[in-house]
Amino acid sequence: MIYIATFFSHFGAMHCKKLCDRAGLPAKMMPVPRKLSSSCGTCVRVEAQDAEQIPRTEESEQIALEEEDGYQILWSNL
Amino acid sequence: MKVAKEKWMIIIAGLVIGVIASALVLLGNPKNMGFCIACFIRDTAGALGLHSAKGVMYLRPEIIGIILGSFLLSLAKKEFSPRGGSSPMTRLVLGFFAMIGCLMFLGCPFRMILRLAGGDLNAILGLVGFAAGIGCGVLYLKRGYSLKRTYRLPVSEGSAMPAIAVVLLILLLAVPSLLKFTAATEENPNPGPGLLHAATWISLLAGLIVGGLAQRTRLCMVGGIRDAILFKEFKLLLGFVAIFAAALAANLVFTAAFSGTYFTLGFEAQPVAHMDGVWNALGMLLVGFACVLLGGCPLRQLVLAGEGNTDSALTVVGLLLGAAFAHNFGLASSGAGPTDNGKIAVIIGIIVVTAIGEFNIRSGKAKG
Repeated sequence: MIYIATFFSHFGAMHCKKLCDRAGLPAKMMPVPRKLSSSCGTCVRVEAQDAEQIPRTEESEQIALEEEDGYQILWSNL
Repeated sequence: MKVAKEKWMIIIAGLVIGVIASALVLLGNPKNMGFCIACFIRDTAGALGLHSAKGVMYLRPEIIGIILGSFLLSLAKKEFSPRGGSSPMTRLVLGFFAMIGCLMFLGCPFRMILRLAGGDLNAILGLVGFAAGIGCGVLYLKRGYSLKRTYRLPVSEGSAMPAIAVVLLILLLAVPSLLKFTAATEENPNPGPGLLHAATWISLLAGLIVGGLAQRTRLCMVGGIRDAILFKEFKLLLGFVAIFAAALAANLVFTAAFSGTYFTLGFEAQPVAHMDGVWNALGMLLVGFACVLLGGCPLRQLVLAGEGNTDSALTVVGLLLGAAFAHNFGLASSGAGPTDNGKIAVIIGIIVVTAIGEFNIRSGKAKG
C-alpha cells in the first residue's frame, strides 16, 4: 500500500523520512499533492503494509491512503 | 496523468494572471505594477493613515479581491480551514522584514516578474538575490527549521481577515472620505504611483480572479524555486514562467496596438525602479530568505489568510506594519535609489531573519 504522510513543517517530514529509513520502509519526500491538500508543504510518500507502521512525530498532521482516484484520510492530528 | 493535469492548470493560471496584470496597467495601474502585493499593501497602509507618504496612498481593491477570491473558492471547495498558532509573533516579524526587503527593491516577487516582463533589467539583479535568499532559507529547512505546528481554530477566528477585507471594501465604496488618497496638485501633477489605478470594480474583479486561481493552483513565487532546489520539482516554477511569458507578450501587443509604451528594455529610466544592483539583490535576498521561513511569498500569504490561516493573516499584518515603518522612517527606496536608512534596515533584517532561523532549529522526537 502507498501512504502519504503530511506534516505541519518541512522538519516533520525530514524526521519521518529518517524514521522510515531506520524502519526499512521505502519512503521519499515530495511536495504535498494538490488533490490531498491546499497547503503547499512537504509530505512523505511511504510504502507500508499497514498505516500503523508509519512513524508519527510531534509535527505529523495527517496520514492518507493513496487510491486510484484520490486519497482516503486515515488519521488526522488537527 | 494527474500530475500532467496539475501542471497544465498551473500554466494556464499563470498565463491568465500574466495577461490580467498587464491589462491592469493598460487600464490605469502604474507601469510594470499590474500587481504588486508589497506596493499595494504599502498604498493601503497610506490610505489608512498608517504612514504619511503622500505619493503612495490608495486602498487597492486588488488586495481585497485576492483575499476574498481565495476565501470564496476555498469555501466552495470545502477547503476553508481556520487554523493558526504556529509561532504567530515570529511570523509577524518575518512579514515585517520581508516588506522592508520588498521596498528596498521596489516590488514583491510578483512585481519582480512583471518588471522583467516590462523589460526592466534591474529586476534580474533582484531575481539573483531572490534565488540566493531562497537558497539560504532552504539551508535552514534542511537543518531542521520549524515554526512548530498549527492548531484548528474557531470559524470566527479564521474568518477575521476575510471580514476585514469586506469592511475595507465597504469603506472604499461607501465612505471613501474616511480614507486618504494620493492627489495631484498644480505644483505636483505626478505625486506618485498611488495616483495611478484602474477603476475600482476592475481592480476588485482582477483580485478575485487572481485570488481564486492562486488558491486552486497554490501558485507561489517562493515555492517554485524552493521546490526546484529541494525536490527538483518544477511544477510551481512553471506558473512563474507562464506569468512572465504572458505579461511579456501582452506588453508587446499593447505597445504595438495602443499609444503608450508597455515594454522598454534596459536598466535606465524604468518605472518605479532604481538602478542600484547591489541593493536590488540584497533587498530581494531578504525577501526570499524571510519568505522561505514563512512558507510562502506575500501573494501566498494573502491567499492562505483567505483560506482561514490566521498565521498568514498575522504575516499580512507584519507586511502592513513593515510598509508603514518603511515610509515613516525613510527606509523605502525611490526612483533616485535606496536610502542609507533603508540599507541599514535591510542588513538588520538579514541578521534578524538569520537569528530566527537559528533559534528555530529543532531536534525531533517520535510520538509515543
